[in-house]
Amino acid sequence: MLAGGAMADVTGNREAGRKLAGQCRTCHGLDGKAQMPIAPHIGGESEEYLRTQLAAFRDGTREHEMMTIVAKNLSDQQIADLAAWFGGHKPTATLKADPAGAPAQCVACHGPDGIRVIDEAPNLAGETNIYIDTQLKAFRSGARKSDIMGPVAAEMTDEEIRSVADWYAAVGIEIEMIE
Amino acid sequence: MNSRNMVAALFLGTSLATPLAAQDNMDKLTSMQRTDATFTTIAQDDERATALKEILPHLKVPDGFAVSLYAVVPDARSMAVAPQGTVTFVGTRKDKVWSVVDRDRNRVADEVKDFAPSVTFDLPNGPCFSPDGFLYIAERNRVLVFPAAEFFFEGPDPAVGVVVEKGKLIPAEEESFNHTARVCRVGPDGKLYISLGQPHNIPPVDKHEMYAEAGIGGIIRMKNDGTEREVFTRGIRNSVGHDFNPANGDLWFTDNQVDGMGDDLPPGELNRQTEAGQHFGFPWVNGAVEIPDYKDVPRPEGVEFIAPAAEMQAHAADLGMRFYTGKSFPEKYHGGIFSAQHGSWNRTTPVGARVMFTPVDAEGNAGAPEVFAEGWLDSETGEYRGRPMDIAFLPDGSMLVSDDFAGAIWRIARQAE
Repeated sequence: MLAGGAMADVTGNREAGRKLAGQCRTCHGLDGKAQMPIAPHIGGESEEYLRTQLAAFRDGTREHEMMTIVAKNLSDQQIADLAAWFGGHKPTATLKADPAGAPAQCVACHGPDGIRVIDEAPNLAGETNIYIDTQLKAFRSGARKSDIMGPVAAEMTDEEIRSVADWYAAVGIEIEMIE
Repeated sequence: MNSRNMVAALFLGTSLATPLAAQDNMDKLTSMQRTDATFTTIAQDDERATALKEILPHLKVPDGFAVSLYAVVPDARSMAVAPQGTVTFVGTRKDKVWSVVDRDRNRVADEVKDFAPSVTFDLPNGPCFSPDGFLYIAERNRVLVFPAAEFFFEGPDPAVGVVVEKGKLIPAEEESFNHTARVCRVGPDGKLYISLGQPHNIPPVDKHEMYAEAGIGGIIRMKNDGTEREVFTRGIRNSVGHDFNPANGDLWFTDNQVDGMGDDLPPGELNRQTEAGQHFGFPWVNGAVEIPDYKDVPRPEGVEFIAPAAEMQAHAADLGMRFYTGKSFPEKYHGGIFSAQHGSWNRTTPVGARVMFTPVDAEGNAGAPEVFAEGWLDSETGEYRGRPMDIAFLPDGSMLVSDDFAGAIWRIARQAE
């Protein structure tokens, strides 16, 4: 699943990643807890997910008006370093609702509380509902590509998308910064 | 249909809306029925408020002014002070519009709760009032109207009408979370003026014509029932603040310039529009700076690009702005523009997070912008304490500054002599 075959051999350096993270913190926080609604929480994502997304922004397969710019000049090593830094933090989700109400089509990968079950999937706990809503619509339209999420989102109405987004947005999230 | 007829129609129980999803409660609300929605109330005296007050000593305002915490308001974005001044409506980039109430007029909010909790909002950044008390809310891809919102906000099910249906403000496939914070104003002609940011750093060449047609990367205007829509302002990248000069009706707006061209390019912009349809140059230029991606793309024929009326520091993110129409500030501020700089996101040395003042003379020309209030940026660590987003004024002429980072509304007032 890793984008850029060569990157699989690169080992991330957390200390170098921490330094590079200075350019991420205005939006994502140094601990990876988002500082504004348009940015997702990235602290405690899998390194694999973070590497894949940064590489996708770099090569243009995922587009965002800000991320495209900052990812454009990152080397494989820098992507690995950033993934190691942000991936090393520890997220804790607090689900207040009955887990039985969790969206059935999501839980196998994202968990009822939005903490990932598999490394290919991002955590969704406590993301802004509009962020999740926007991503699902992008998967549905094909603007964001994923072999897994494309078909899932294709079946969803606007109302179902918003309802899923509201579920995960309502989960409490704490991220412990690990040095 | 004018505003008064619209409220009459609402009271008669006539649905203005094309039927929407029942989940949205819009069917019930447009026919004046009740829902079971409940309010979310934000505490104004807890540890959050205490932490916000600790920011105050860092904030710097001119001699003779004082800054205070007006309200704790999570994610506070664009503001609309109701005509009577009792309540201020505050948009967010999430799913809430907050009503901020100061009943006893002691200039500190008594109560902050969500407005119209029965409505499922989608990025309701932009509230604005008509002089006769209709509250318009521009969302990511819909525009709603709430007649007499200043009186109906106390209940969870205020009367509502649909000005622009969901999915009709921009093509649904162009919806994103980039540059989708809409701002609205009611113009001197009674029409609605709504900014539509284009969702890219630089729009793909194959999309620029479609965007121009839709007014994406511009400001559109329409009658208050959504008809007679037209593109009023062309050639903008992402404007998140506009206001009319009360002296002569000119439309002024801020813009956010292209990223990735370096720390000092292109400069920030304050623009002045004197006629419908004027073009401000994007994506060919930001002010005097050419955008390399559009070097070989033909410019629209017979169009002159209008240069900015004033330039600001690059990447400081000039957002909300408003003309000063109050009396309590000193003479030098009368008729001028106050604007909020949100602060840079990837500049090597962060800049912004302050309130700027730009004088406007009797001919309607801008003078040199100056810093009015600052201190939301910790210059030693480069970290934000807060990020000013919009400016509004209370009937007493004092200033409100919304801050979506700290989750607050600050008030700046003339100090008692």
